[in-house]
Amino acid sequence: MKLRGSIQRLLLSMILSLAASTALAQYYSGDHTFDGEHKNEASASLTSGKNILIGPCIGNTVHYKHFFNNHWSVDGGVNMQYSKELYGVKAKGEYHIQVKSFHIFASGEFLYNRYVKYKTNEIDGNISVRFERGYWDITLGESLINYTIGESGYTEPATLTFGAHATLRPRTNYWNVGLLFRNYDDFYYENWNINWGLDFYYKFNPTWKLFGEFNIRPAGSMSQLASKYETTGKVGVIYRW
Amino acid sequence: MKNSILYSLMATALLAVSVSFTSCEKVSPQGVLMGNTSVDDRVKQSLIYYSYHGEDLDWDLTDSIEEYSFLVGSDSHITIDPGRLTEMIEIGIENDDLFYCHLGDLADTKPEYYYNTQQALYNATRTWKRKYIKLYIDEFHSIDDGMYYDKRITPSTKNYLKPWDDWTLPFYPVVGNHDITHNGWSLFCDQFKTSFYEFTVKVGDSYDRFIFLDSANGTLGDFQTDAIDENTLLNDDKVIRNTFTFTHTNIFRPSLNEFASTYCREELYYLLNKLSEWNTTIAFWGHVHAWDDRMFNGVRHITMPSMNFVDHPNGGDDLIVRITVKKDGTCVMERVGLHSKEMSKEDLESMGYITKTA
Repeated sequence: MKLRGSIQRLLLSMILSLAASTALAQYYSGDHTFDGEHKNEASASLTSGKNILIGPCIGNTVHYKHFFNNHWSVDGGVNMQYSKELYGVKAKGEYHIQVKSFHIFASGEFLYNRYVKYKTNEIDGNISVRFERGYWDITLGESLINYTIGESGYTEPATLTFGAHATLRPRTNYWNVGLLFRNYDDFYYENWNINWGLDFYYKFNPTWKLFGEFNIRPAGSMSQLASKYETTGKVGVIYRW
Repeated sequence: MKNSILYSLMATALLAVSVSFTSCEKVSPQGVLMGNTSVDDRVKQSLIYYSYHGEDLDWDLTDSIEEYSFLVGSDSHITIDPGRLTEMIEIGIENDDLFYCHLGDLADTKPEYYYNTQQALYNATRTWKRKYIKLYIDEFHSIDDGMYYDKRITPSTKNYLKPWDDWTLPFYPVVGNHDITHNGWSLFCDQFKTSFYEFTVKVGDSYDRFIFLDSANGTLGDFQTDAIDENTLLNDDKVIRNTFTFTHTNIFRPSLNEFASTYCREELYYLLNKLSEWNTTIAFWGHVHAWDDRMFNGVRHITMPSMNFVDHPNGGDDLIVRITVKKDGTCVMERVGLHSKEMSKEDLESMGYITKTA
């Protein structure tokens, strides 16, 4: 199965999706940008769900993000999945520019995961570009994934990173619900597996925000019939100061 | 608000149409979300089958046989002409290979192509039986009893003597993603019964284990991983010399131009650990239609090229492999060529291989 045909199908899907989304877009100033007042952002979340390998699982993540100005920000995070015995840390740098009503974010990320149960160390590098408008965003990028078990290591050839997200309300609204699909999450980059999700947030005030996600992460996709792999729910809070 | 809902619904509908539109007929568009054939269902069925017939799969070779060989092919994607599969088995029979393994995507999804596959295997079975299956006559059995035996198997084996019709070709496939779309599993299991099974080959005092895993959905699934963890198949105390595993979905990606593995990350690491835990000698993978041969954590991983006419219209010298297990347990790999050319439907009809249709 050659990649060329798959890329053609993916591009066609994306063009059609983009056409659909662009027709809906309205002007907005994105909320992933520096608001001019709060330079720091911290979040904590609790994740629980079920996985075919582990069964019921629970864990939590914490993040800290610092905005230097309207363009540059850095982000660090820690992932602790207790049932899975999976622990990860990440660091991310992001550059933001606005072109007319488009917000464009270019980012580079380094991620380390330790799968204790499977005696595996994983190191991921990713560069991505995210395009945002009022009701949708699309991410495209490349990941390099290296893993080591025992004395053997393997670096997978560069893998396409893709994601799309559409929301019911504009991002400036104090609440929102969205749908997403992507082959990555805060602490993993997958190959050709798609994570389908429904997310939401509720802003209590400019400093406090509640957020959550419900994710279905099937194994196999596109040419393979998808099959149950993992479902998770995540709920957390963000504090800005 | 009303407009937003309407627009969102439109966007979702357009996205769904785009996914469906851009999926070819070889895959099920709805399968992007959730397949209609579950690996768990297949494994449940396979475990039941195994509970009845598991022991029948084991080979206990006569003392005169000190080494043996087997063939492995992958992704034959049979459509009209099953010639490459026929050629593989003919090579195996000519070389006295003990059995033939296939790594999935046997036929190209459509029911009519499974009939061609079935017919090819039926023809191969006749040739195989003529060479290896002999009428058993002794003081207790006459020609009228109609019992037959395989001259390579020890007489103490359970079901050593069987009627002619009960002898089947030693062809061991795993199920691939193209074998399960468009209700393919019902066609596959009608012929092969199981997608998750194991057997041993006894040579002298040594046992070699052969494990066949169902990864057609890009995952082993809940029941299969549980069965593996609970040693549901591997429930005997044989001391194993070599272990060979066979499954469809690849782990290693031979190059940037090829599809990546579709196991979710933790499952990928689970599987790599499990193969090491089993002291696997060689793990065979298909799906990606490209060759890769590497050692990882003590296990040799061989990812197989496809053997179909589309990828290799002129054949090739290295489309399948033969593994020879020597007397001392060492394994020698040899790449074997397939060179048959695809025949047209008309040619196959005129030669009587397929039935003429209106």
